[in-house]
Amino acid sequence: MIVKWVDLENYRNYRHVFFELSPTLNVFVGENGQGKTNALESIFYLGIGKSHRTVRDYELIQFGETRSTLKTLVEHEIRNYQLEIQIEENVGKKAWINHAPYKKMSDYIGHLQVVLFSPEDLQLLKGSPALRRRFLDIEIGQSQPTYLYHLALYNKTLQQRNRFLKSHNIDESLLDVLDEQLSIHGSYILLKRIDFFKDLNHIASSLYEKIAYQKEKLNIKYDSSLRIDDAYLYSFTIHEFQEALYTGLQKQRKQDIHQCITTIGPHRDDLLFYLNEKDAKKYGSQGQQRTIALSLRLAEIELLYKLSREYPVLLLDDVLSELDDDRQKNLLLSMTEKVQTILTTTSWSSLADYFRMAPKLYKVDSGILTSEG
Amino acid sequence: MWGYPEPIERLMEQFMRLPGIGPKTAARLAFHCMSMSKETVAEFSKALLDIKERLVECQICCNITEFSPCPVCRDERRDRSVLCVVQDAKDVVAMERTHEFHGLYHVLQGAISPMDGIGPNDLRIRELLTRLAGTDDSVEEVILATNPTVEGEATAMYLSKLLRPFELKVTRIARGLPVGGDLEYADEVTLAKALEGRRSL
Repeated sequence: MIVKWVDLENYRNYRHVFFELSPTLNVFVGENGQGKTNALESIFYLGIGKSHRTVRDYELIQFGETRSTLKTLVEHEIRNYQLEIQIEENVGKKAWINHAPYKKMSDYIGHLQVVLFSPEDLQLLKGSPALRRRFLDIEIGQSQPTYLYHLALYNKTLQQRNRFLKSHNIDESLLDVLDEQLSIHGSYILLKRIDFFKDLNHIASSLYEKIAYQKEKLNIKYDSSLRIDDAYLYSFTIHEFQEALYTGLQKQRKQDIHQCITTIGPHRDDLLFYLNEKDAKKYGSQGQQRTIALSLRLAEIELLYKLSREYPVLLLDDVLSELDDDRQKNLLLSMTEKVQTILTTTSWSSLADYFRMAPKLYKVDSGILTSEG
Repeated sequence: MWGYPEPIERLMEQFMRLPGIGPKTAARLAFHCMSMSKETVAEFSKALLDIKERLVECQICCNITEFSPCPVCRDERRDRSVLCVVQDAKDVVAMERTHEFHGLYHVLQGAISPMDGIGPNDLRIRELLTRLAGTDDSVEEVILATNPTVEGEATAMYLSKLLRPFELKVTRIARGLPVGGDLEYADEVTLAKALEGRRSL
């Protein structure tokens, strides 16, 4: 899908701005604090109905105003959609598609699919395992509502079990029941995660190779707390997962009772990243880690395409800093015409030669956009 | 600052102990009570007391009743080969409204939930087992009709394990689509569950 134009009113530091976008590459150039990221954020917001920078919608309204309006025209393969979101202080937000009001945001979302890479994504590598599990859960849940159902029940049962482990006289047959319930929901989660993970690893590592120019190889591992050999892990059926999880819980029971916490299960799993067999979280450089995070986001594009047969719009916020010249070059060269890309950067002149296609260039200066061809 | 007279405030506080009642509704109810005749208020307060004084737990099925054993347990026309296990008294009424079930009930008075401090011993499980072992040995099938929540499922699973030695037919009520509903309006999970529990025609 392609964003044809965006129209913002009283949004962050933009009083009123209208900009058209090229179906291939768009570049926003400007100094820090001029509004490059704000412009990117507005497109993200029009797609997801949420900002990636804040949970408080009213922060998006320009200072001193009470209402902000965002509009965009999105071209799909079959037809066009005009999307509009209005944020009003103390009221909330309203959404329209082709001028028809949409009461539920969940029905609105999906008409503009976006993938955003921002500097915060480095946390995907550096942050806690919970962030990586969240990444998996969000990606899978987007396309499979039953996954979220099992995830919710798994977490509820987990809370029950952990609470139960803290009680004095533990009825082991009740613990059996909780273990069985955890295994039922947990096996579903594991099966879907492994499925997704296999695709992710495959796509992300080949993207990494492209950007790093074969200097090093990326390999991602699904680190299961069940300690199952990779070969089995990647070929288990749902029943085998259920069995493994149940026996695992039984084996850990003594320790779990001692620690008053459930020590194995998908809630303890993680993703590990290896560059040439070395743990990238520990030994990778800032630039290497950034490239990994970037590869994950770019892989998301392919995975979304697999699901919906339409490419999402790619938003790259300050992606080039911290990448060496070769990586910058390879990243820009790897961009295809199939994916509409919008990129922010502080300096442009040194990069101009790397672009395969002529980008649409916007200069951003204190909330004013100037088109430079 | 002027507040409500003490008796009104006291009544309001009592109303606010009820679920779903905040200060505004409580004030409205309290003032309404003032406009009622003394007889009506007396009736009202007697009705409140009666539910504590005149109700007991049925010695057989643990349902709440005026006289133990309860009318269902005493009714000789009921099918004594089927026993339906439910979480609370409201569920019995719901089942009775179907007019489809003619067996006996057993009311657990809750569901297992360690988070809320409710374990198997806080439920009427022991009573169920004694019942099946002794007085009600004519039972051939036990239907587990606890709610399809995490707690209800855990309770059902726990009971099914306990009931194994009795060599009874133990069944679980089905989950799926509401009757008269359109497929398109069903949420994805319900629909998936309905698909899972499909049967051949």
